Amino acid sequence: MNALRQLEKSAVLNTSIALLIPLIVLAGLVELSGDLLLERIVTVMFIHLILVTGLQIFMGNSGIVSFAHIGFMGIGAYATVLFSLDPEVKAMTLRHLYEFLKPVHLPFWGALLIGTGIGTVVAAIISYPLMRLHDAAAVITSFAVLVVIHDIIVHWSEVTNGPRTLFGVERETFLWNASLCAMVGLVFAVWFRESKAGMQLRASRDDRMAAQAVGVNMLAVRWLGFVLMCGYAAFAGGLFAHFITSFQPGQFYLAEVFVVLAMLVIGGPGSVSGAVVGTVLVTLLREGLRAGEAQMNLMQLFGGQVVGLTEFLLAISMIAILILRPGGLMQGRELRLPLGSVTAARRPL
Amino acid sequence: MLRLEDVHARYGAIAALRGVSVDVQPGELVALIGANGAGKSTLLSTIAGIIRPHQGRIEFRNESLIGLVPERIVRRGLAMVPEDRQIFPALTVEENLRLGAYIRKNRDEYETDLERMFDLFPILKERFAQPAGTMSGGEQQQLAIARALMSHPQLLMLDEPSLGLAPKIVEQVFALIQELHNEGMTILLVEQNVSMTLGIADRAYVLNMGAVRAAGTPAELRQNVDLASVYLGGVG
Amino acid sequence: MGNVGAILQFTIDVLSLGSLYALMALGLVIIYGILRLVNFAYGELIMVAGYTLFLLHPTPLPWLIMGLLAVSVSVATAYLTERIAFRPVREQSLTAMLITSFAVSTMLQNAAMLFVSPRAKVVPLPELFTVQLTIAERIVPLRNLIAIGVSVALLALFALLLKRTILGIALRAAADRFTMTRMLGIPANLIIGTAFAISGLLAGTVALFWFGRTGSVTPEIGLWPLLVAFVSTVIGGMRSLLGAVVGGYVLALIQMAFSNFLPPALLEFRVAFVFTLVIFILLFRPEGLIRER
Repeated sequence: MNALRQLEKSAVLNTSIALLIPLIVLAGLVELSGDLLLERIVTVMFIHLILVTGLQIFMGNSGIVSFAHIGFMGIGAYATVLFSLDPEVKAMTLRHLYEFLKPVHLPFWGALLIGTGIGTVVAAIISYPLMRLHDAAAVITSFAVLVVIHDIIVHWSEVTNGPRTLFGVERETFLWNASLCAMVGLVFAVWFRESKAGMQLRASRDDRMAAQAVGVNMLAVRWLGFVLMCGYAAFAGGLFAHFITSFQPGQFYLAEVFVVLAMLVIGGPGSVSGAVVGTVLVTLLREGLRAGEAQMNLMQLFGGQVVGLTEFLLAISMIAILILRPGGLMQGRELRLPLGSVTAARRPL
Repeated sequence: MLRLEDVHARYGAIAALRGVSVDVQPGELVALIGANGAGKSTLLSTIAGIIRPHQGRIEFRNESLIGLVPERIVRRGLAMVPEDRQIFPALTVEENLRLGAYIRKNRDEYETDLERMFDLFPILKERFAQPAGTMSGGEQQQLAIARALMSHPQLLMLDEPSLGLAPKIVEQVFALIQELHNEGMTILLVEQNVSMTLGIADRAYVLNMGAVRAAGTPAELRQNVDLASVYLGGVG
Repeated sequence: MGNVGAILQFTIDVLSLGSLYALMALGLVIIYGILRLVNFAYGELIMVAGYTLFLLHPTPLPWLIMGLLAVSVSVATAYLTERIAFRPVREQSLTAMLITSFAVSTMLQNAAMLFVSPRAKVVPLPELFTVQLTIAERIVPLRNLIAIGVSVALLALFALLLKRTILGIALRAAADRFTMTRMLGIPANLIIGTAFAISGLLAGTVALFWFGRTGSVTPEIGLWPLLVAFVSTVIGGMRSLLGAVVGGYVLALIQMAFSNFLPPALLEFRVAFVFTLVIFILLFRPEGLIRER
């Protein structure tokens, strides 16, 4: 009885469990089914979940839209790979690599940590001075940061193989570790939302003057949120690189930004539950549409290749949600275990 | 002319108006007095259509105003001079006045109306081509009122016209309001300056915490109501 | 003599590119000034103009007519996106509007992929755009001079509109205090619709000269103009119309300077350099270059 009482009281514990249980069940079922395609889809879903959760931490709490985080996903991916690639493979795929980087080789988790660290540090350095900008300029600048990062990746051939595909990465990311990492990230995000910093961030969104009046250091708290988001993204980038085993810069650019944003917006940016719901739903939608698109192409239904249908419909869904149900599906509420207790109503975005 | 019945409105998460009932007869100068945060500005914003009440009725000349957008409400004959004047500082005095006359269809009227404004507010003629932002507070207040008058309103609403002005200028502004009243304009005046307001009003309502605490002619209010306590607080 | 020629060519390059950038930025800041909307779908107005030209290519129409039609399509697209997507979310937060514009942008790009083609398509150009002049021993494309001329004319026309017409005065007032403008009886929808139409007109005009440089249209063609508009606006101080115009020219200057003076090894990073410099400018002057009163 005491445990149940605790569950009712602690929002963090309550929501975490409410979110984790269905995810664990899902992962378990997929793993047991042994279906490879399903495993791939759900693994990618968990990687996306990390990205969306990171976005939720910053955007959901501060109310500021960001585009830059996907750039840091790219940094995380390329940085991780730099350290995880076997030196022989590295010599083949990154032919112009700097001498001092050629022999470096770390086991997967070590490389992932370093890659994430690099991405996070770069994010911390770049973003601190940008936190002073007011909202519209901040959004535009985050967009510019994304473009700059992409541009650097495309041109810094020594380190990234330029616009060409970087291949030869070992498959290290599987359902079990992707889901585990995603779930850890979830719990942290739930905790953060209710933590002092998280509340301060939300306060600074809702009423800037009042927040400053009670001593909230807006700059610091926003910066923290941003860095966390980029840390998540860099980590997800490293995981992604080791899932897909070969990639190029275009995968860390606007198309990815759109998908991640769609997941958060449709689910509801105000809560971590929204991030989860959105990710699952949009993944379902996309896979369904993609299968449909493939069928249409197979049957030559429109006399040629059908490209862009998935994104087109996804965009329309997003617009529909924004018009009809602005808080997303979860309307800023967190999932709770059905213990018969009061659900705290949160304000939607 | 204007009737509010049991109006409830929210400003953000705060219940700013709790069941306010006010009415203004043609030709009257009705005052709403109350301290900061009493709900006076919210009331005017609600009438003007910026805030939508979730309960109650607002009728102007027997037609409901609820649900109308601000642009429509002005066309019905209501003009508002908001708190802090809201003149367009980058535009010249002329341009400000021209915008005030936007809803008038008759181009010939415009010149006549301008002349009228110059009579009432000679300083505007002087500053006609200057950016409105370069004028003093008192001059801007005059411009704001003139701009509102350009639309030939049936009812003029003034939100704290004395705010931020030197006492001498405040006197001028109040004299002006009185003059407009004498010429037959129906006026709803919201103010914190109790004494001057009661000096020119026909009737007044005292607002506190979003509700009307007292009402009547200035004489009645001075006699029967402990204005200080009702104004400052206490549920009365 | 050689140096004069070089300076002249550089100046013309900066002015012609800057003129396009300035018009682009202006179209963006008009919307932002009134609605506080950062319009991510703005670049797509150039894209639709390009596809219009492509689709009209097989017809016997003279290029001028095709060009006018292309600009009209930009205007129509701008107006329609406002009517259908932005108006319903206008009452919501600015973030919601911004995200909506991003979704509209993605939708339009993918619509182009879906209904036309994901591959680049050639855009027909008038004979005039191939003419090259020789000035002070340097080759100057005539279209650059035309671009400068047309832009200056448009800017002058626009300034006239703002200063002399009631609508223009209302637009300026709305950019300053939108709610007060409505309280004077000026319809919000008229103001906003006009603003979007103007932004469509500007983007459409820029498109004609933009394709003069690139010659082809892809679904993603709108990205760079959008960035240009964004950055120019931010440099100029987001609230100021004049600032956006100035920002456009400044950005062109920075870009051409880096293009001409960066060592060859770093040349390919010029985009990164340009934007990093802009970010620096913002660090020291977050309000932009033009001081707001």
